[in-house]
Amino acid sequence: MKIVVYVCAVAALVAVQITMLPYISVWGVKPDIGLVAVCLIGLLAGELEGLLVGLFMGWAMSLFSAVDLGTSMVAKGAVGFLAGLAGRQVAQVTPLVLIGGLVVASTVASLMTMWSLKPNDQQDSWWMIRTILMPQACFDAVVGGLCYWVIWSRVNLDRLAEGREV
Amino acid sequence: MRMANFRSSYGARRLALGVLFAILLGFFLLPQQLQALFQEIGGPVGWVLSWPIRLVASVQEGIGETWSHYVALQDVEDENRQLRKELELLQGQNSQLRESASATDRLTALLEFKAQALPTMIAAQVIGRDTGNWHRTILLNKGSADGIEADMGVVTSVGVVGRVVKTTMATAVVLLVSDPNNAIAGLIQRTRDEGIVEGTTPGLARLKYIPLLSNVRAGDRVVTSGLVGGFPRGLAIGTITTIGKEEGALFQSAELRPEVDVNRVEEVLVIQSPYIPGEDGKSDELLPKAKL
Repeated sequence: MKIVVYVCAVAALVAVQITMLPYISVWGVKPDIGLVAVCLIGLLAGELEGLLVGLFMGWAMSLFSAVDLGTSMVAKGAVGFLAGLAGRQVAQVTPLVLIGGLVVASTVASLMTMWSLKPNDQQDSWWMIRTILMPQACFDAVVGGLCYWVIWSRVNLDRLAEGREV
Repeated sequence: MRMANFRSSYGARRLALGVLFAILLGFFLLPQQLQALFQEIGGPVGWVLSWPIRLVASVQEGIGETWSHYVALQDVEDENRQLRKELELLQGQNSQLRESASATDRLTALLEFKAQALPTMIAAQVIGRDTGNWHRTILLNKGSADGIEADMGVVTSVGVVGRVVKTTMATAVVLLVSDPNNAIAGLIQRTRDEGIVEGTTPGLARLKYIPLLSNVRAGDRVVTSGLVGGFPRGLAIGTITTIGKEEGALFQSAELRPEVDVNRVEEVLVIQSPYIPGEDGKSDELLPKAKL
């Protein structure tokens, strides 16, 4: 059942990312809601689910993009895995902590993509960092923080956690 | 505020680490083979995933149409669209005619005229944009099941849009002419100098490798040379805006303004085959018109 939910979530997120997000981009940069979702899944469900959903999300996104398939899969899978690890280490997660984590996760994923693109010179690299990497990291963090805040205010995560531990 | 602490078991953690390590090792040792395998499996998966994309795209299109037809000024919108289409058509015809005239002069002089083959084209609709911010691509609603393959050229009546780089069964990803990773063989229409058109990071294009002795100037039109790639000769790529000459460089380069506004493209034509070789493998055969 969980697999079906994840597959449906990936399909829906890919559709929204391709068709709707270009219209809400700021300065030509749109958030990567796939990365945000993988991060949240890793945090809430652990590193194995974060990794597997991340790999599938990266693969699905790369099918509809010119981005390198391997880089996309590994970047999102690694983000899901690291989010799972972080979820076990951090006792208190507030939206602000999550925002910081998402900035780091988005930056790492973007640096991996930049590395695979092999920019021509230093000028191109700085242009990419200034106009894509940094705005996207901020955008992802804000979207992720909002999503987490909505989930936290709607669902009592503490109760869910206690139920799971019992 | 506490987070949901759904702890994975030790076994699950070890399994996750193992899977991550195996994937990393796989992509490090056999990158081409793994990419090809995932791309092959991705064909049918892409077909399944294309349905929600089409659904969202059609809902979005419906909302957009309702807005433009009933909320915005209907008559002005229709008239403007009609005029823009006519202008695009005339610009395209103008470019083709200039190229035909130029080609006729040269070929007649050589007394060796060969009719240029008409390309076979597939009409497709743009249903989305790139999933990330790193590439400038559009997503088409037709894929390998419709005969579209990687490296095919994509055009509108105005000029070149880009090149197909990836396909699933139901979709195709087109790398736009303004993407820095794209390269198309170009020709300056007036001087007949050839070069390579590449995208630039700010979203324009640049013609590289223009000979130093060329008298290229701003305002010159650049068309496809037809030598390599999926484009026939004479399709408009862009207009030169500035020339760049560096001290000691072997070539000069020129900034281009692409002919097609790639941010507003809605329908395109995919060039399935620019030419079909004749039985002798040399001569071009006249092909049937577009498959719509």
